[in-house]
Amino acid sequence: MKEIFNDILAIEDVHGVVFTSFEGEILFTEPSVETERSLPLFIRALGTIREVDLIFEKSRIYVRRTDTGYLVVLLGQFASGAMLRLHVDMVLPSLKEKGKGKGLRSLFKRNK
Amino acid sequence: MVKKVLIVDDDQEMLLSLEDGLSKYDETFSIATAEDGLGAVDQLKNSTISLVVTDLKMPKMDGFSLLSHIMEHYPEIPVIIITGYSTSEMERLAREGGAIGYIAKPFMIDDLAKRIITTLRREADGGTLHSVSSGIFLQLMEMEEKTCTLRLIEKSSGKQGILFFLDGQLLDARCDNLRGEAAAYEIFSWDDVSLSIQNSCPQREKRIHRDLQAILLDAMRLKDELRRMGKRATAGKKPSAQAKENIERARPVEKVKQFLKREVGEGYGIEDVYEDNSWESFVRGIRKLGVAFKAGEFKVAYVDRGDSKDFILLPGESVTVLAVNPKCARDRIMEALSE
Repeated sequence: MKEIFNDILAIEDVHGVVFTSFEGEILFTEPSVETERSLPLFIRALGTIREVDLIFEKSRIYVRRTDTGYLVVLLGQFASGAMLRLHVDMVLPSLKEKGKGKGLRSLFKRNK
Repeated sequence: MVKKVLIVDDDQEMLLSLEDGLSKYDETFSIATAEDGLGAVDQLKNSTISLVVTDLKMPKMDGFSLLSHIMEHYPEIPVIIITGYSTSEMERLAREGGAIGYIAKPFMIDDLAKRIITTLRREADGGTLHSVSSGIFLQLMEMEEKTCTLRLIEKSSGKQGILFFLDGQLLDARCDNLRGEAAAYEIFSWDDVSLSIQNSCPQREKRIHRDLQAILLDAMRLKDELRRMGKRATAGKKPSAQAKENIERARPVEKVKQFLKREVGEGYGIEDVYEDNSWESFVRGIRKLGVAFKAGEFKVAYVDRGDSKDFILLPGESVTVLAVNPKCARDRIMEALSE
């Protein structure tokens, strides 16, 4: 399923993409990331939040609720927020379509 | 007065073809080029640009980032977007970002030229004056409570500067890489200028807080003093140590309010600033996430719950919350707060 996220991964200074279920289970990562339990815990704490943009000292994390789970984008300080949000908006319909009826686990190869 | 148009595109063939195709309009505008947003930022800093035509997808700094930089630092410069990856969503974002035109590639060069010329005409819709004394003219602007953007050229040196008036108040000035009062001092020291008047003032941020008469008088005094020393007046103004100390002493919310007023300006969609510890456990989760991703210290978060207000969270002893309009200058506020 990497091709769905190719445009996001191609944005300057985007370091990676993680897709999780609503429960925080990691369904896809590119490149592979080890987040211990903090990401699932954070995802579960989001509740009805639809978008979070986090700025840290060294990098940024962007989280977007989709119809089928949460998209987490890891990015550097110089990535364009507007460009990222635009590409995420463009990816949302694909995620909805691909997820219809099949169950996402069958579509995303798990990276462990 | 020949205007300078900056064309930004990472496609060198496109740049060459535009330079060549637009050269027949060189009596109206000249062309400068840059291959990415960072190159454009440098050119904007070091020369007076009247209009920017930019591609969207570029390395280093893309068109959206460049557009946002121009809207923040040079709001009077119109931007036309040209893109080979046109979608209605992209056009909407570009226009919301402040672009005045959006052209999908391929396009006819003459159509672009017409668009440029029409836009540039607006720069002088209030008329052009030659060989005037800037001091007297500026006092007239104040007396008549004019709202306008004045572009001035000093005849002897060819230096260019811009002044922004809103209802007769001098809001801001820019000259080379000087802004605010420092730029005003420089411009007011010019004796013989040509100026064009644009009957609008896109700049809304007030960077000059002193009375025009006082600045004019000081500029004259400085000019006389520095002329005796063989230098030009370019006085820079920085916040006093006392003012900085006062801000440091203030409570977090007050500090944030003062900081935003200074760095972002009034408005920009910020509706309220307050402390709210109900966000504490969420902020703890963010901190843990930062540790897991080796992202360093947590600086600021933007939270959209799909309501009529979004929230910006600042960690501290208590969580400081900014309630903002979803259409606020999000990236600008976040960038300022994360520094």
